[in-house]
Amino acid sequence: MRCPQRRAVGAGLVAASLALALTGRATAHGGSLSADDSRALAVPLWLFLSTGGGVVGVSFLLTSFVTDRELLRAVRERRRDVVLPSGVRRWLAICARAIGLLGLAAVLVVGVVGPAAPLSNLAVLVVWVGWWAGFTMTTYLVGNAWPVFNPWRVALPLRERLPAPDWRLPERVGSWPAVAGLLAFIWLEVVSPLAGDPRLLAGVVGAYSALAVAGGFAFGEEWFERVDPISRVFASFGAVAPVYRDAGGSLGLRVPGTGLESPDLVRDASDVAFVVALLWVTTYDGLVATPPWRGFATAIVGAGVPAAVLYPVALLAGFGVFLAIYRVAVSRGRRDAESYRDPLELANRFAPSLLAIAAGYHVAHYLGYFIELSPALLGALSAPLAPPAPVAVVLPPWFSVVSLGFVLLGHLGAIWVAHAVAYDLFPSRMQAVRSQYALTAAMVFYTMTSLWIVSRPYAAPPFV
Amino acid sequence: MPEHTTPPEPAEPSASSGPPYDCPYCDRAFHRESYLALHRGQTHPDDLTDAERQAFETARDEEEEALRLFRLQALAALVFIYFGFLLVYAFSL
Repeated sequence: MRCPQRRAVGAGLVAASLALALTGRATAHGGSLSADDSRALAVPLWLFLSTGGGVVGVSFLLTSFVTDRELLRAVRERRRDVVLPSGVRRWLAICARAIGLLGLAAVLVVGVVGPAAPLSNLAVLVVWVGWWAGFTMTTYLVGNAWPVFNPWRVALPLRERLPAPDWRLPERVGSWPAVAGLLAFIWLEVVSPLAGDPRLLAGVVGAYSALAVAGGFAFGEEWFERVDPISRVFASFGAVAPVYRDAGGSLGLRVPGTGLESPDLVRDASDVAFVVALLWVTTYDGLVATPPWRGFATAIVGAGVPAAVLYPVALLAGFGVFLAIYRVAVSRGRRDAESYRDPLELANRFAPSLLAIAAGYHVAHYLGYFIELSPALLGALSAPLAPPAPVAVVLPPWFSVVSLGFVLLGHLGAIWVAHAVAYDLFPSRMQAVRSQYALTAAMVFYTMTSLWIVSRPYAAPPFV
Repeated sequence: MPEHTTPPEPAEPSASSGPPYDCPYCDRAFHRESYLALHRGQTHPDDLTDAERQAFETARDEEEEALRLFRLQALAALVFIYFGFLLVYAFSL
């Protein structure tokens, strides 16, 4: 069995790099603002999109050659303990909490009194470059350290010392508040100049801090698990990461992505919705900055629909479409696999694989942004109130190929995870293979959608 | 969200025909006897009777046969996709 597997892995790498070489030409201009005609799409759009879809399909076929249950189990269970003396851990946790609180204070203060130009203002740079781009990348590339950094968790020790209400969320609320919160966040990010106006940003962060501390104080740990969308995003991404914290609290190392095969990561329909929302919001964020959206929005607003209605409706409608596609794919897969398993259970087990895709999109969107603006962040950190003129790193043209590579890597991870989960769920390996047809088709759809978006030139969202 | 942990409904129409095959050792049901045999062999290996062990081995051989056929089909699909793209790229570049 060893040899064909190695050959399959090798063939997968060859196929992926071939596709990269081919699609690299196509997207060399994707996302870049300069209208350089010499780097326009070298292949027709339909061919570019079908290559992306084809790579996902091919990776499904290659993964299906891995038919050794023992191998899949060995990959999943390959774990190492990370032993840190408890004194060091306590000290690190105190440092992290101090950094979190200091960062929050800096955002609130410098956002109000600092320079008004966004690229000189520490608040904007810390929130978008340092935290949302940089820190988020560490949550899936290394491990989710947000619980120790999260400044709003100061509400928890306060809760033990002061007389706090012991409120509980009803069971049936599930994680729906976090789903709604995540969608609301993205809506706010798209329609308001949060990334360009330090005063507004400081106001929003301040309001959110008040809400989060009050919520944490009233509901305790439950607030950060089921309501706070930020903690949920990082916890979800942390499931992709190699470093993890087990139930007993000790740290361990695992093969990246194998955490997604855990049966209790996604517990109910609201958790599934959260995962799909995480995938959708990245797509939406890109979609509203494309020329076709501009044309569509202009036509709709011209027909009398207020823009204030259009954006949230499009956000919810697209989320509904993504969720429906996932549900249909799972129930179709259940039928193809001739399984009596509960469709909800199958939806719960396969949903985490989408997190690998979401992480891939996040790197593709933010790695370049992070590298370009990190000198500006460092400059602002060195002198928060009078920063030097912002310097931006200019990325070489081939960098967008690297970004595209991460999108593909995320998809390959997702295919592998779904394959391993199917082997865990079904007694027959042919059932496992058949259960993946519809899911792979859904992943092909997600890939082609996001490739279509990255191949469009940037057009600022209209009417916001 | 309410937890729908009701047991699966065997009456539900599905792609396969035939009655549900219930596992004697746990509460799972299967559309085919071979799935049940594989499940018993994988999940309850220490409880098997001789006949069940025999059924497990037969089902595993059949599964291996089906997989071999699938691998050939997948290989054919890979070759088709590879050369398909090669030709399309050759003509469109």
